[in-house]
Amino acid sequence: MLKINNLQASVEEKQILKGLNLEINPGEVHAIMGPNGAGKSTLGNVLSGRDGYEVNEGSAELDGADLFDLEPEERAHAGLFLAFQYPVEIPGVSNLEFLKAAIEAHAKANDIEPPSSAELLKQAKEACKAVDLPLAFLKRGVNEGFSGGEKKRNEILQMMLLKPKLAILDETDSGLDIDALQVVAKGVNSMRAADRSLIVVTHYQRLLDYIKPDFVHVLADGKIVKSGGPELAHELEAQGYAWLENGEKAGENA
Amino acid sequence: MSHWFENAIERGEQLTLSAQRTASLELLKNTPWPTRKTEAWKYTPLKAVQGFNATASEVLAAEQIEGLQAIDVVPGSELPTELPAGLTMQWLAADDVDASLFQQVKPNRHLFGLVNDVLAENVLQIRVAAGTEVATPIRIVQQLTAGSETHVRVLVEIEEKASLTVIEQFAGSEQSLNTLFAEYRIADDAKLEHYRLALQTEQAMSLGGSHFQLFDRSQLNSNVVGFGSDVSRIDMDVRHSGQHAFAKLNAIYLLDGKELFDLHSTIEHEMPNGTTEENIRGIAAGSARAVFNGRIHIHRDAQKTLAELNNRNLLLSNKAEINTKPELEIYADDVRCAHGATIAETDKTALYYLQSRGIGKEEAQIMLNFAFINELVDDMPNQAIAEWLRPQLRQRFAKMGE
Ligand SMILES: Nc1ncnc2c1ncn2[C@@H]1O[C@H](COP(=O)(O)OP(=O)(O)OP(=O)(O)O)[C@@H](O)[C@H]1O
Ligand SMILES: [Mg+2]
Repeated sequence: MLKINNLQASVEEKQILKGLNLEINPGEVHAIMGPNGAGKSTLGNVLSGRDGYEVNEGSAELDGADLFDLEPEERAHAGLFLAFQYPVEIPGVSNLEFLKAAIEAHAKANDIEPPSSAELLKQAKEACKAVDLPLAFLKRGVNEGFSGGEKKRNEILQMMLLKPKLAILDETDSGLDIDALQVVAKGVNSMRAADRSLIVVTHYQRLLDYIKPDFVHVLADGKIVKSGGPELAHELEAQGYAWLENGEKAGENA
Repeated sequence: MSHWFENAIERGEQLTLSAQRTASLELLKNTPWPTRKTEAWKYTPLKAVQGFNATASEVLAAEQIEGLQAIDVVPGSELPTELPAGLTMQWLAADDVDASLFQQVKPNRHLFGLVNDVLAENVLQIRVAAGTEVATPIRIVQQLTAGSETHVRVLVEIEEKASLTVIEQFAGSEQSLNTLFAEYRIADDAKLEHYRLALQTEQAMSLGGSHFQLFDRSQLNSNVVGFGSDVSRIDMDVRHSGQHAFAKLNAIYLLDGKELFDLHSTIEHEMPNGTTEENIRGIAAGSARAVFNGRIHIHRDAQKTLAELNNRNLLLSNKAEINTKPELEIYADDVRCAHGATIAETDKTALYYLQSRGIGKEEAQIMLNFAFINELVDDMPNQAIAEWLRPQLRQRFAKMGE
């Protein structure tokens, strides 16, 4: 599904990603953990094509398509979705209008009939329910004045409506209360499918109790420095990242 | 000299006027017709007014605002007889205008204010008795029709602790000339929600203003929408004559073709502790021209004033023009004042967010441009008006620059 090879990328002339390799098969859930500033969000930004992030080396393919050849909207059409660590407020554009534009753009790009307005509204309402957002949020400006947790739920709502092939959830759990965490996890789990893959970026093992990953990776200083199964998350939770400095490997002492 | 202007003075001389209005006529006779050098009209050529010949003075009602239950007033027509308790309305005769009310609010009148003083054939007086909250909005509505010239004056008095909503609405595109000046006296603890929907276009000329005088703890929420035409000029004036008054002024203009929209606003903070929030946003395409002149005057006694004025503009063509001029005069030392005029820039992060959801860059840009205006529509307290306006603005915006 996703194949990242020796990815090197920089922001404002500063190299952040320093040769990152990652391969994700259909249906897999990969968790990425790692210290602040390691480059986790940068990876999402680079893959989704954010302005100002320069790819210096390497490649990223989504189902064989070279992502770096595509505009951000084309990457979305190809099935990529990024749930933002900091979702953006857009006053003056209603959430529903935004969802409608996004769904219609997807339909058009993929040459399928877009849903009717009534059908779309129905889907949006169902998604609202699934992430426990009151329907009034459809009328409000995109993320405008939403609380931190509401913004995160709105990201999942969008994912549910856009049904991506590969979704990157960047710290979707941070800022969520315990109930909201379960709501979001339930929403994400409802999206798990044999032909859909997930990258879950998180600092906390707890989310992974709800969304069970197939693999856990540690991203540090722009590279994947360690990979393992779900047990790695527990080790990290117990030990932190101090071992990175000494060049030791987590798990060696365990 | 202007043919129309000479004719207007002649018409005035034939009327039987109150002492106040006779004084205005004298002033008018001594006022020169504006030229390019006249500061207040520098960017607003009056050629179309100059050559105008009135052939009618009939006023028609404009279309309804769906979902809005309002008391409709069409200048020159009978007033509704059934009114909510505490609300009174009447047409005043030209020679019977209560001098204590007329011109009390409006601090300084430009040429067309004087013209309106003299020629207003329809003077509407509205009063809301103390403590009365009038839930039904009053809609003063005019469809400007071919050849018509009309001059309307509205005098509104909202007594202590009373509240009212007034909509001044204009429509029409045919060659016509209209002035409408509305004066609002908002007493202690009273509230006014106000809309001036200057939706006339093309050859329908409209000049006028809404003038507000605020007393202790009174509140004003005013919303202006302008489409622009051969000549469209609005003066929005707020006078803080009491303490702790709050004025919010939002204005939007969407101009295309050769349209002109000129908004002048003057905020007078005469007393301490007043607040003014002014947000003016406009988009100009084609070879349209927007003029915004925003003056804030904080008098010596107006300590602890909080005044913010923000004017943002978006130009969709390199032939479109925005002339914006902020004027800040502060004579008190303990005030907070912000005053800015900028060309609006696209929020890159918002653009990326939309694109990341599959929305093409061009469409995303259009969505954001419209959002820039729509934010102020969202901010309107009356939902029916907002929902009625939004599709019209959207349609107009979609056609812009075509
Ligand atoms: N637009 C930018 N301009 C300047 N520096 C940037 C920018 N984006 C990222 N960086 C820098 O790149 C580095 C990696 O940032 P990134 O946001 O990818 O970290 P992260 O792993 O997501 O951290 P966190 O866990 O705190 O979210 C940081 O040092 C950050 O300051
Ligand atoms: Mg991050």
